[in-house]
Amino acid sequence: MSSMTNVSTALPKKEKATKYKDMNQLSTGANLLWHILLIFGCLCVIVPLWIVIVASFTDNATLVMHGYKFWPKVFSASAYEFLLSSGGGSMLLAYKNTLIATLVGTVLCVISVGLYAYPLSRTDFRFRRFFTFYSFFSMVFNIGTVAFYMLCTSILQINNTLYALFLPQSFSAYWVIIMRTFYKSNIPDSVIESARIDGAGEWRTLLQIVAPLAVPGFATVALFAAVGIWNNYFNVLLLINKRELYNLQYTLAEILKSIQFLKEMASSSGGSVDTIKNLGDLPSESFRMAMAVVTMGPIVLAYPFFQKYFVKGLTIGAVKG
Amino acid sequence: MKATTLSKETRKATVKSGWGSGRTSWGSGEIKRHLAYLVMLLPGIIFLFVFSYLPLPTIVMAFKKYQLAVPPADHWLQNKFLYALFYKSPWVGFENFKFILEAPQFPVFMRNTIGYNLVFMAVGLVAAVGIAVGINELRQRKLAKLYHTILFLPYFLSWIIVTYILFAFISPAGVIPQVFKALGLEPPQLYNTAGAWPFIYVIFNLWKYAGNGSIIYLSTITGFSQELYEAAAIDGAGKWKQFIYVTLPQLVPTIILLQILAVGRILNADFDMFYNLRNGASAAYQNSLTIDVYVYEMIASNPSKLYYPAAAAFFQSLIGFVLVLTTNAIVRKVEPEMAMF
Repeated sequence: MSSMTNVSTALPKKEKATKYKDMNQLSTGANLLWHILLIFGCLCVIVPLWIVIVASFTDNATLVMHGYKFWPKVFSASAYEFLLSSGGGSMLLAYKNTLIATLVGTVLCVISVGLYAYPLSRTDFRFRRFFTFYSFFSMVFNIGTVAFYMLCTSILQINNTLYALFLPQSFSAYWVIIMRTFYKSNIPDSVIESARIDGAGEWRTLLQIVAPLAVPGFATVALFAAVGIWNNYFNVLLLINKRELYNLQYTLAEILKSIQFLKEMASSSGGSVDTIKNLGDLPSESFRMAMAVVTMGPIVLAYPFFQKYFVKGLTIGAVKG
Repeated sequence: MKATTLSKETRKATVKSGWGSGRTSWGSGEIKRHLAYLVMLLPGIIFLFVFSYLPLPTIVMAFKKYQLAVPPADHWLQNKFLYALFYKSPWVGFENFKFILEAPQFPVFMRNTIGYNLVFMAVGLVAAVGIAVGINELRQRKLAKLYHTILFLPYFLSWIIVTYILFAFISPAGVIPQVFKALGLEPPQLYNTAGAWPFIYVIFNLWKYAGNGSIIYLSTITGFSQELYEAAAIDGAGKWKQFIYVTLPQLVPTIILLQILAVGRILNADFDMFYNLRNGASAAYQNSLTIDVYVYEMIASNPSKLYYPAAAAFFQSLIGFVLVLTTNAIVRKVEPEMAMF
């Protein structure tokens, strides 16, 4: 190995490293194989999304006649024009509901979780074991769907209100763990001590000193909360039957199901599935794909920006620090 | 991780936390601090009380035959549901549970829920470890990071979006029938093929969670000491042998622990996936019936007979609770860091 070092000092900079990696790296063949496998995996992610996007930009008649393809056979943005005009009525309303719910729910969540986790992270809090257990129990014992249903309808009476879209998702013991670990590992005790010595009360310490340092943690919780509320379907299914309160996911699901139902009806009565396109009042398939695109759009577009927070959150949450 | 050196101030301030230390007296300002702490805890306390503790007594619904009733005007409990549940519904013991256990769908949804979860665990494990190893070994680090980023995007997409994707693939105008037609073969009507659905569920569960599952293994692998690999390489072990004899043995504890924790959740199936992916196709129903779907359908179809799904839901909660506690206790004995609590 020492001979290698001697040789390497005379070689151009590129080959200077003599760490194990150089000796023990994948052979070119194996490296290529892994690239191929991983690229295949990535294509499995990208291609399906691409097909949906392409379909939304395809003229509907062509889509129904010729099927889903990798490039629009006949390009048409009419699905989106229709979406943004009166035709997208229920969609725009659902978008509004989902946006409000996500915003309010996420803010509620970050505040309540951020506040709750702070005393749990302080070693000078006498009751932290009790309150940690208080939140963990909710993770371990699920009250069940029926109890949840009765709670939301008969006791809280949030059924058929906008609260149903976000309230049950505005707190979670899981995020409390993540936030608590974040506080413990990223806020040095010295910072808090010096604040205390300077005479700051707990609230001041938390809001002025700790909070700015904890922003990445808040971002992680905000991310999980926002995605959870945006993607939520079950709450609407269970608690809402007024059209004007539907959220995006529920609207999407209902609209796609109606195609399936009609096709089954047609095929069971002996007609072919193609007769469906004669029914004039169905939203077109490309229109439905456009709805899917605008629903997943925000997440896919924002994804590169929040991806680093997500990784951090998962690794903290899974391996207790 | 705790800081290795705590200052004298902090050590003095760290009190042995329990359920309240009764004997030691409270320092000056400590009361004020604790009041502040309690106010901070208040939103969470209220939320958890409402959503996790308050409904606990209603679990008794599983043991009663709920009857609608209206409380008299002078009764202290004016909530119709609670009054009816606690004052007017007869106790029936395990009768509701008997109904569920003897229901024809019981073996179906039990087999489906547990069976699917076991397969998901096995397949997901291989994929997650494979991805983690591949990402870690790749010579081009930037590309590896890119692949990883792309691979866990599906975790953020709702199952409804996935239903649209599946539709674009297997509906009569979809990609797969087109491929068949191009080959001159009869295109399969996958929405109507019951036997296709277990495969569809496994594939899509993998699609959604493989990237996500690989994160833990990846961070574990990157933490391994390089010396062992160097020693193995010097001894002439190729990459595959290194994987078997160096990576895998070190990874096994993590794998076992994560799988044990997964067993704790074995009665919980992804409702959104099993309820939505088949898009209402009736042929897929038998292979899509999991316990969550069963409970939901009972609620939706028979809102006046909620005691049956209440029993099923309680069954699920209780077994899940026992499993989680047991598996967590096992994990805590072996590797306390990995236990949930």
